[in-house]
This record gives sequence, structure tokens and C-alpha cells, in this order.
Amino acid sequence: MSETSTHSIDISAMQRSHQALRIEDENVCLSVKDLHLYYGEKEALKGIDMVIPEKKVTAFIGPSGCGKSTLLRCFNRMNDLVDGCRITGEINLHDHNIYAKGTDVAELRRRVGMVFQKPNPFPKSIYENVAYGLRIQGINKKRVIDETVEWALRSAALWDEVKDRLHESALGMSGGQQQRLVIARTVAVKPEVLLLDEPASALDPISTLKIEELIHELKNEFTIAIVTHNMQQAARVSDYTAFMYMGDMVEFGDTNSLFTNPSKQQTEDYITGRYG
Amino acid sequence: MSTELKQKKQTVSQWVKSGDPWVWLNAGAVAISVIMVLGLLALIAVRGLGHFWPADISQGTYSLPGSQPYTLVAERVESTEVPAAQLREAGIDVADHHDLMKRTLMKTGNRDVYGSDFRWIIDEYFTNETRPEMLFAAERHEWGNLYGYLQAVKEDGQVVASTTDLTPTESALATWTAFERSIERATTIYDDIHTVEKDEIGTINHALERLRLEQRRLELNNDLTPEKQADIDAQRAEQNAKYQALQQRLIDLYAEINRDTFVVQVMDGSVHELQVAKVVRAYRPNAMGIAQKMSFYGSKVWEFLSAEPREANTEGGVFPAIFGTVMMVLLMTVLVTPFGVVAAVYLREYASQGFVTRTIRIAVNNLAGVPSIVYGVFGLGFFIYFLGSGIDQAFFPEALPSPTFGTGGLMWASITLALLTVPVVIVATEEGLSRIPRNVREGSLALGATKAETLWRVVLPMASPAIMTGVILAVARAAGEVAPLMLVGVVKLAPSLPLDGNYPYLHLDQKFMHLGFHIYDVGFQSPNVEAARPLVYATALLLVIVIATLNLAAVTIRNHLREKYKSLEM
Repeated sequence: MSETSTHSIDISAMQRSHQALRIEDENVCLSVKDLHLYYGEKEALKGIDMVIPEKKVTAFIGPSGCGKSTLLRCFNRMNDLVDGCRITGEINLHDHNIYAKGTDVAELRRRVGMVFQKPNPFPKSIYENVAYGLRIQGINKKRVIDETVEWALRSAALWDEVKDRLHESALGMSGGQQQRLVIARTVAVKPEVLLLDEPASALDPISTLKIEELIHELKNEFTIAIVTHNMQQAARVSDYTAFMYMGDMVEFGDTNSLFTNPSKQQTEDYITGRYG
Repeated sequence: MSTELKQKKQTVSQWVKSGDPWVWLNAGAVAISVIMVLGLLALIAVRGLGHFWPADISQGTYSLPGSQPYTLVAERVESTEVPAAQLREAGIDVADHHDLMKRTLMKTGNRDVYGSDFRWIIDEYFTNETRPEMLFAAERHEWGNLYGYLQAVKEDGQVVASTTDLTPTESALATWTAFERSIERATTIYDDIHTVEKDEIGTINHALERLRLEQRRLELNNDLTPEKQADIDAQRAEQNAKYQALQQRLIDLYAEINRDTFVVQVMDGSVHELQVAKVVRAYRPNAMGIAQKMSFYGSKVWEFLSAEPREANTEGGVFPAIFGTVMMVLLMTVLVTPFGVVAAVYLREYASQGFVTRTIRIAVNNLAGVPSIVYGVFGLGFFIYFLGSGIDQAFFPEALPSPTFGTGGLMWASITLALLTVPVVIVATEEGLSRIPRNVREGSLALGATKAETLWRVVLPMASPAIMTGVILAVARAAGEVAPLMLVGVVKLAPSLPLDGNYPYLHLDQKFMHLGFHIYDVGFQSPNVEAARPLVYATALLLVIVIATLNLAAVTIRNHLREKYKSLEM
């Protein structure tokens, strides 16, 4: 499952071939309906319709600038921070439209956590980084925080590496450790959905491997949406894959079929490396 | 061999192209700046610190052609070369073979006898110069230094020790020892008097003033019942009783301190009898070894740092000015930091970046260029006359017509300087905020933090080194300002420190002294300019040191913060 060679596509495809995933059988976590997004005059997302199944990994692939990161950032309203960004359509998190008026955005973001491309730990200790989200929620009981920090660091497979230096600065860690710390930090607030925006693209292969293993572990508890440039990675870690191009959702389906038997010519061209 | 040499040869245009001239130019500019700064510091250090050295006292005959020769007893202060022609024009009969003549400023002291402390002499005519060991100098509480020979020490008019010798004979030294003992005793009593007058009576005066104000307040509120009046009267009687006791003690102390006198012969041969109580310290520099001089020097420098000024600020120390400067700068920092940071946070984080915000930003930047005296005028007109009077009307009506906040004071000076320096803090903070990586903010927001929480918990701590940079610049500017302070609360001589043991301990309404203004006052407003000049340098050096210390403290804090929140570049 976790070889980094090019053969892994076929291996994972073979392993999955008899799992026969069907999107219709899944519980829906997030559903997107006719989502348009404009940066000023430019239309960056042109009417997206899709669902993100619960406790599965959904990968978004596509060439640079296709809107996959933009779409991911719609799920926790990170695009609100961008000046001149306008959205129509709706995204429902368990039947609640997150773009409805009066939505508590902070609460939404707690429920839909996000990990960014570049590790962005706070200039605080490892412990305080993980405790940050809890403190924001007003949790100050040391026992509760201690337990949650340990649980989150174990979930992110980081506990054994850092348990002796929890109170040292997080900035002294390696890039891969920092990224897992950021995942631990996000997991600590117990979100329903984890959005991963190219979480391994700034990391070396070993760290990438660890992150991918981690994603496998985490999908037992969380719904995961991951944007990646690396198609092998998408094939390795995801259950469902969406291929986007120029702001359109070209094809969405279970990873196995999309990679082995794409229904659109564009998808086939992309995954076979003819453009992108 | 020859080809190698050829390669090394460069034409001028190649040399210009290589960029070397720029390096030389830059290095030269840096070198000039460093030399200028070091030269400045060296000048004020040498001139200022030399003042405290116990210079030898020369005795000799000064026989200027055409006038009566006389004995001169004085310290050499400085020498210059002057053209002989200039002296001839001044009516001095100078021999023809001279072109340049050395002229020396001599400190003769004894202002009460001769009318002035200093005189210029032409070295050529100063002859038979000696440095007798028994010549002594005495610093006095008034009239400046005294130079002469000690003849006798008296207690209650009775001679205790006396001598007629001008050389260190047994009787002369015994008289000197008696004199030193007498000074020591007088100094102890003087300190007692000072404590009683300043601290104890000061506290009583403070209490009496508060009682007066309380009574007046009750009167104004028509609330002065006979019981309250009786209570106030009782307290007042108590304070008055204390005062009477202290008054009696003072009378006794004054009688004690005025017991001793000494007899001194000065350079023109006249003999004077003076009170020992008037002497601060006496010493015989010509008899002092280098170690003694060093320790004397140390005690003088310490006096300069720790004592209050005497004699219209030309003698004694500058402690109240150091204290006032530091206090004012610290208060200014406490005021300017939150205000500047809050303004910068609004401008950078919350305000929409449109025309209005841009205009405000330009206005803020331009405020930094407004001459400081303009802020002084604003402080006087708005803070003191408008706000201060309003505060007095509203909160201190009992003290009127004498103003409480309606006059210059520590608080208004600090606020005026805070206003003067707030643009620097705003600009530096904005700069710092704009440098915080976007992904760190997003990381916080993605965890469910609101914008305000993100600011408080992540962004501002990370921007704190930049904020400290702004504070450092603000401190550097504020500590050196003098002009606006003259309008809003700095005085030549403040009777007491703004921080003391009387409630409410920190007196924000009090006027205070400032090193910068002290320099101006000593240098330009002093009745005795020659005596004050070295103090100008010494005070200037001290001001530089105080500012450097304040800055270093801030820089240390900033470096510590930088280390803690070092940037996230990877």
C-alpha cells in the first residue's frame, strides 16, 4: 500500500478491485450543489455538484489552477478571507447549508478542520500547539487538555517522537514532524471533516509515507478530503477521486474505476500524463 | 609571467564597473559616521568627566606689565593660544618678539571675596609657580569653591586648633585634622536637618494640605457638619503638634551646626572667618596621591549621580533630573505602546484598505515629521488648558484657584511625548503585522478561532518584536526631546521627586526635572557660565548614557522576543 514506486498504482488498484465501492451506498457528509465561485469577475468554480462520503477519503486531482484547492477551502469557508471572493450555490454539512446567513463560521471551522500545504505550527511549544484549539473553546482543565494532547499526538503518530519534549518550541521540529503536529492540532478539536490541502507536497518521501499511513488511520474516525498533485498518492490513499479541470468537475467516482477505467477522455489524458 | 601581469591590470572604467568604488564609498561613509559618533562621545566624556578630577592648586606671582604684581592661587582650567596682536589691542603691553601667547583660564574661587570665580592669565607673566601642600579647597553650599590656607578652627568662638604655618608642620596638620573632624560633624547634622525638613516636615505639610482640601471640599458640598469640622480640627492639631516638635528639633540642630567656625587666609592675604556648616567638603589636592585622587573622583561622580543640585544647578548632582527623565520615558512607554498597537491593529487588520485608510496612514506618517515644539504647544493648549482645567473643575474644585492638573506636570508631559512618538509605534507595528505569514493566521482560523482570538493569541505575540522596535524608536526620540517639555511640565528645579512615600505615591500632577532641560538650563541660564560648562558636558554624557541604557533594555527584551517567535521561514 505504501510503496512509493510507480507500480503502486496497479497494486493498489488490484487490492481495491474487489472492494466495489459505490457512492450511492455511502453516508453523505458534505454535499455540494451548483457551487459557483468568483474572484472578482473571474469564475473560478463553474457549478460544482458532488458529495463527500462520510469516513472515507476523497481525493481531488487536477492540473494547477483547476480550482481544487479553492473548492476545498469552500468547505470551511476559508475563502471568506479572500477579498473580492463571491459564492453562489450551497454546501451542506449534514443538511445544514454552511453558507446560510447566521452560520457561526468559527464553529464550522472547528467541525471542518484544515491542514495546509506548508506546515504552519504556531511559535509556541508542541504542547501549546495541540492545546490551542481547546483553549480557544475555553477548555482550561489541565487534566482534560493533557489527555487530549496525548490522544491527538498518538492519533498523528507523533507521540513517541515528542513525548519527552512537549514543552519545547514546535519550530525546532523537522518539516514532516511539523506537518503531523499540525494534523494533531487539527484532530485535537475532534472535527468531523479533515481537509488536507496538499499536506505532503513540501515534505521528503519518508515524511510523505508517514502522512499517507496516517491518513489511513484517520479515516476510521474522520471524513477526509485531500487535494494532491501526486496521482500515485491519490490512488494510494483515497476511496473516491474527483478530477477537476478549469473550474469544472470533470469526473467523480470511486478511485479504482477512475484510475483504471475513466469514463471521460480528459481524465484519461490527465492520468496517463498526456497533459497537466 | 607577463600575461598574468597583464590580466591584473585594470582600466579605470573596468574598476568602476567592478563595483569596487561603491564598496569603498559605502565603507568610507560608515567609517565617517562611526568616527563622528565616537568623536562626539569622546569629547563630551573628556570634557564632562574631567570636571570631577581634583586638580592641583597653583600658587604664583602674576605680574602683568603695567599693573601691580599680585599672588595668584588658582586651579588651571584650560589653555588657548592667542595672537599677541589681539592682546596688544586689548591694552596689554606684550613684548614685540611674541606672535602667539598662551592664555590660561584660572579658577580662583572665593566668589564672595573677589566677585568672580575665574580669570584669564597670560602664562608668560605667571612666575614662581608652586603647589604648596597646605593649600586647601573647600566646596561650599553657596558661593562656590574656597581656596586658601587654614589658620584656625573654633568651637563656640573658642579656638580649638590654630597654626600660622603655610607648610605641613605639626600644628598645621593638627589644625587640618580638627577642621576635617568639624566638617564631618557638621555634615552629619546637615543630613539630619535635611531629613527633618524634607521628609518629616514634608509629610506633615502634605497631610495639612490634604486636610485643608478636605475641609474646602466639604464646604463646597455644604457638607461641613460640626462633627466633621471637629474631626478635621483634631487631626490638624495633631499634625501641628508634630510640627512644633520638629520645629524645636530643627532649632536645636541649627544651633548645633552653627557651633563651629574656621579661619582662612586667602590669596590676597586677607583673613576670613567662616562657618564650618557652609562647607560641603574640604581637601588638599596638592597633598593627595593618585589613589586618594581616584577615590575622591569616585565620590564626586557618585555625588553627581545621586545628589540634588546646589547653587542654581551649577554644583551638586542631577539625581532628580535622571529620575524625572526615566520616569517620564517609562510613563510615555506605558501610554504609547497600547495606543499605538491598537491603532495599528485597526488600520492593518480591520479597516478596509480603501482611500480613507490610506489617507489616515499618510497622515500618521506625516505626524512623525511635525516639529516637536508644535506638540508642546498642542499639549499646553489642549491637554493643560482645556483638559487639565476641565479635570480641575470636575475633580479638584477644592484646590482652585491653584491648579492641580491645569498646569504642566509629569502626566501631561508623558502624554504629549506619547502623542509625539505614537506614529513611530503605529508604523513599526503595522510593518510587523504585515510580515506575519498568512498561513499561520489561517492555521489559527482553521481551528475555529475568531479573528480577534487569532490576533491575541498568535499574531500579536509574533509581531511583538516589531512592536518593541517601535517602542525602542519611540523611547530614543522621547528621551532626547526637550522643546515640548518646556511647555508641559519640566522645570529648572523641582522641590520633590514625583515618586515618594506620601499618598498617592506617584504624583502625576507634579512638575519634574529632565536631563535635557537641565543641560539647557545649566549651559545657558546659569549665573556662573564658566563653572557650569563642564557640567553641561557631564550632563550631556549622562543623558546619552541614560538613553542608551533605556534603549539597551528595550533591545534586550526585543531580542528575547525575537528568539521566542523567530520567523517561520523554512
